[in-house]
Amino acid sequence: MRSLTKEPFNLIVAGVGGQGNVLLSAFVGLALVNEGFTVTVADTFGVSQRGGSVTSHIKISKKASYSSVTLEGKADVVLGMEPVETLRALGEFGNPQVVVIVNPRPVHPAGGIPYPDLDLVKQAISGLSARASFINATDEALKMGDPLFANIILLGALMGADVLPLESGAMLPILQERFSGAMYDKNIEAFNRGIDLCRNP
Amino acid sequence: MADIAIDNPGGVVLLMGNEAIARGAIEAGIGVAAAYPGSPTSEIIPTIAAVAGKRKIHVEWSSNEKVATEVAAAASLAGIRSFAVMKQNGLNVASDFIVNLNMTGIGSAGMVIFVADDPGGMTSSNEQDSREVAKWFDNPLLEAQNAQEAKEMVTWGFELSEKVNLPVFLRGVTRLCYTRGNVALGKLPSGGEKKAFFPEIWDMYNPAKSRFTAGPSQVAHKNLHEKLKKARALFEDSPFNSYAGPENPELLIISSGVCTSYSLEAIEELDVADRVGALKLGTVWPMPEKLIEKRLLSTQKVLFVEETDPFIERSVMEFAAGRLPEMGGLAFYGKRSGHLAPFNEQSADLVIAALADILNIPLAPRDPGYRKKAEEAMALVPARPINMCAGCPHRATFWAVKNAIARDGRNGFVCGDIGCYSMAFAAPGFYQARTMHAMGSGIGMANGFGSLGDYGFDQPVLAVSGDSTFYHAALPALVNGIYNQSNFTLLILDNSATAMTGFQPHPGTGMLATGAPAPIVDMEGLCRSLGAEVRVCDPFDLEETTDAILAMMQKKSGARVIIMRHICQLLKAKRKIPGECKMRVDDEKCLGDSCGCDQLCTRIFGCPGLMWDGAAKKAVIDEAICVGCGLCADICPAGAIIREEARP
Amino acid sequence: MSGTKRGSRNLLEDVLKAGLCTGCGACVTGCPYMAIHEGRIVVLDRCTIEDGDCWRHCPRTPTDVSGFSEKTQGVPFDFLEPGAIIAVEMVRSVDAAVREKGQDGGVVTALLAFALDEGMIDSVVCSKKDAGGAPHGFVARTARELLECAGSSYEAAFTLEAFRKIPAGNADRLAVVGVGCQMEALAKMKAAAPVNGGNPQNVQLTVGLFCGWALRSDIFRPLLEEICDTSRIVKFDIPHSPGTSFDVYTKDAGKISIPLDDIRPAINPACQYCWDMTAEFADISAGSAGSSFHGWNTVITRTPRGAGLMKRAVAAGIIEIQPLPESRMTKLKASALNRKKNALRNLARKSGTREDLGYISGLPAGLVDALLKD
Repeated sequence: MRSLTKEPFNLIVAGVGGQGNVLLSAFVGLALVNEGFTVTVADTFGVSQRGGSVTSHIKISKKASYSSVTLEGKADVVLGMEPVETLRALGEFGNPQVVVIVNPRPVHPAGGIPYPDLDLVKQAISGLSARASFINATDEALKMGDPLFANIILLGALMGADVLPLESGAMLPILQERFSGAMYDKNIEAFNRGIDLCRNP
Repeated sequence: MADIAIDNPGGVVLLMGNEAIARGAIEAGIGVAAAYPGSPTSEIIPTIAAVAGKRKIHVEWSSNEKVATEVAAAASLAGIRSFAVMKQNGLNVASDFIVNLNMTGIGSAGMVIFVADDPGGMTSSNEQDSREVAKWFDNPLLEAQNAQEAKEMVTWGFELSEKVNLPVFLRGVTRLCYTRGNVALGKLPSGGEKKAFFPEIWDMYNPAKSRFTAGPSQVAHKNLHEKLKKARALFEDSPFNSYAGPENPELLIISSGVCTSYSLEAIEELDVADRVGALKLGTVWPMPEKLIEKRLLSTQKVLFVEETDPFIERSVMEFAAGRLPEMGGLAFYGKRSGHLAPFNEQSADLVIAALADILNIPLAPRDPGYRKKAEEAMALVPARPINMCAGCPHRATFWAVKNAIARDGRNGFVCGDIGCYSMAFAAPGFYQARTMHAMGSGIGMANGFGSLGDYGFDQPVLAVSGDSTFYHAALPALVNGIYNQSNFTLLILDNSATAMTGFQPHPGTGMLATGAPAPIVDMEGLCRSLGAEVRVCDPFDLEETTDAILAMMQKKSGARVIIMRHICQLLKAKRKIPGECKMRVDDEKCLGDSCGCDQLCTRIFGCPGLMWDGAAKKAVIDEAICVGCGLCADICPAGAIIREEARP
Repeated sequence: MSGTKRGSRNLLEDVLKAGLCTGCGACVTGCPYMAIHEGRIVVLDRCTIEDGDCWRHCPRTPTDVSGFSEKTQGVPFDFLEPGAIIAVEMVRSVDAAVREKGQDGGVVTALLAFALDEGMIDSVVCSKKDAGGAPHGFVARTARELLECAGSSYEAAFTLEAFRKIPAGNADRLAVVGVGCQMEALAKMKAAAPVNGGNPQNVQLTVGLFCGWALRSDIFRPLLEEICDTSRIVKFDIPHSPGTSFDVYTKDAGKISIPLDDIRPAINPACQYCWDMTAEFADISAGSAGSSFHGWNTVITRTPRGAGLMKRAVAAGIIEIQPLPESRMTKLKASALNRKKNALRNLARKSGTREDLGYISGLPAGLVDALLKD
């Protein structure tokens, strides 16, 4: 088991309902449990899943099971599946040390609510984090033929960033258990693409 | 979790609270599990159903929670351990049965009822505290802190149930159900053959003998109180109650459920473990009074942390009031004192604030420079209201409803109901639902409105019901409306699934909880046979649907039913059915801001597959979200949204 | 307050809910937020445009009648006269079949068919009855189609709906047929072309129809359905003498006469606020008021464009003309002025003061007091 820089170590996955944050954070949680950590993975459930803003809170510990929600200002890593949702999460849980990995592809809010200037959002994200990596996961996923691959690409990027107490290889058995055949190959391709995008931007 | 029935005692796995609860029931050797879908509990039944064959468990989605509880209770009466699952609203439906079941008891095999509350109403129309029902019904209730404990409590709940001959409530909240955590697995029972047998055979020489009919209620009620005493005694030294902290703490926190985690985290964060003691109550009702007494006498100040009502707070204060004067000097903090709120969720942050106030601890603020920057950045962040999915058939239905009501012009309105289409009270359904209460209440209230003709009421009344909701609670109201000749139109939004809670099958789908085929209870034939006038529409044919609604709502009498039949878009995606077409916006035809349409497609129609490009001032399709239903092409007044060839 | 910028929310409050909508159809077509349903304009959803064509083109939003007269008729507006006048004559179609199908002399149908034939125009925005007999806006492109539109429906026809359905870039040479409120709306469209709808500058000819009032379909239709199969109705008429019956001609039962008083409850209440009996902003206006000669129309030629068409139609033997007797002319003017007085009186009663005449603005000081003194 790798050492933890902090107890608990807090990862937040922020996105929009329907983007697949639940699956992504479950994968991370499964790999951590396999490595012997005690984890709490808490997702926004219910009606917010219908296009609202959603977060998953993953608390990683060596000793205890913690509560579901991260304390204010205590995120260590934010994995953003959508830019303004990343910013929203930083507003509540951010701090000068937080590391951010973010998919810069906007998902527009319903009802014609205008989306802010993306460059300003990206600047704000960078300004609120110690380190921010922008990973064009949706664009890459569309190249692969299905936008749904974006979350596995982001999972790869998260592993590639090497901010969790996990080797990227720890994720392979999880993917193997979940996917089979051609879908497994596609997901591994997406995962590796994510690692690559993060390490060689 | 790939296999919830994996036989690996001591193995540690990551389980969602709901999965852990399912595992606990399997470890307890249940033979029957029944529920009606309701978030936050919806995953429990499917988890058990996945191993139903292997573990010989009868698992069913019942048509409502009362039926589910009755189905489960019958198993216990026949010697088979049974498990009923419901959300807080469902408990209300089942209550009429449970409040009589506690009088008769459950026979030889245990029965556990898991009820999940939803503080914050994340997935519900209310945030009622079901613990109150335990007190009201004189029924034992346990409350779990996390997934591990939930699993253990389910298993122990069956033992308790058998010891006291009562159904046992296990209470959770959304955060328990939907939080994944490490769970150490227990032993699975050996699959010994159990035979179900109802022992209450009619004895012709002693015809009045029966334990399971409501006897003289004062006798049964007396017995119930005896059973509660027994439960209280068992709770006094239950391992589900624990204390951590100094023997004589400056402040005692009494908490239950997930609030125990919030309390422990707050104590750790403030580093006050040497000043503050934490009493965790797992056996919430009946309250273990000796344990409470011992801890109250060890301190001067008590803070209660619980969701949602001050249930333990009131119970403890009531108890302390009976121990004057030795407890007269105690100071109580919690919802009554205003340190925590009797509504919404609690959190470690809220407990930190309460503790800091009571103990006079200055709170270190977040880095002020960062905080300022973050506040500035928040000005950029737009609201993100909930929405119906891209291609959702409910959007089509409510578009047609809106236009039909406007055309009719007599202030017609919709009585809303519970499901994805509840969103019709807000922008996603064009604000069409004017009432929204409980399952089936839409049509029930439509019955009432439609009976006010004698008082000059002439507004057309529409009710909506989902397909699953129709079987759950709308059916009796439809019968009532036909019998009492109320004047209304019921729209059944048949999307082939209980979509809000995760696509569970229902009596109209031809599928069981296990996925096995089932007879279809044909809603169309059912409504016709009851005497309703029935039409079936595909809401994606907007014009025909609007005309049909208008025609039905303009009829002067009788119950009318329109079945809006179109498969749920998510279910379609799950089944890998491709979209009808590929959509694109013709740049030349879209006049954007200079069109008189005022952004109809994004601002009003609001499908998430459409975006307004702020720079170009035109609509664009978000190809990552659009599912190709094609409906927006019918909405655009400029004909700028184009349906292209079917997707390969 | 001519030229105020408002949107559909104001239209809903200040025109539709205020009972002023005449059913001209100008507001509807380009707009996905409004629709016509059973003789009513309905607002389907909230539009936030604060400077909308619906408001700009509505004949019942503040209107500078004087300004429009200058613009469309080329002469200053005289509120006391029935519009610009080059000639007022009795006219009828030479073709008896057209007279039979049309109203009185069938002049409108004959003139438009002639204008189509000679190429002055290539399409006519008018109203046509659907299978159930309810009128709606229609673009006729041939004489044959035009004949199908002949005859008065007496109902608000939302004719301009069809005009706005014509694409913005369309180069058709159009004629528009309509009653006074529709001519006013068209004048407003000419002043500011619709964002997405036909170009009003393509309109080569406007033919106005005299109008006393229009019927509300939502009340009139059920009334009709009680007495006959509405799909078999051929024509309506209010014979000049005795002027107390409403005649329905059907394919099966011939003429069915209904007392006019039975029809009155179906009259659109908005018509009481209308000042324009003779469609003053048209090139040519036609009707029967004031003529009282069976089988003839009274026609007011208002503009040189209208006069040219009349002249060519006479030369081609399409129509025949006789002078309008002086007494009839006096009666026509009196009726037209009486209508204006009634409109002003009703508007003043509605607002509670003569200072506020609702949509009518720009009348000379003292004129209103002088007109309403009795």
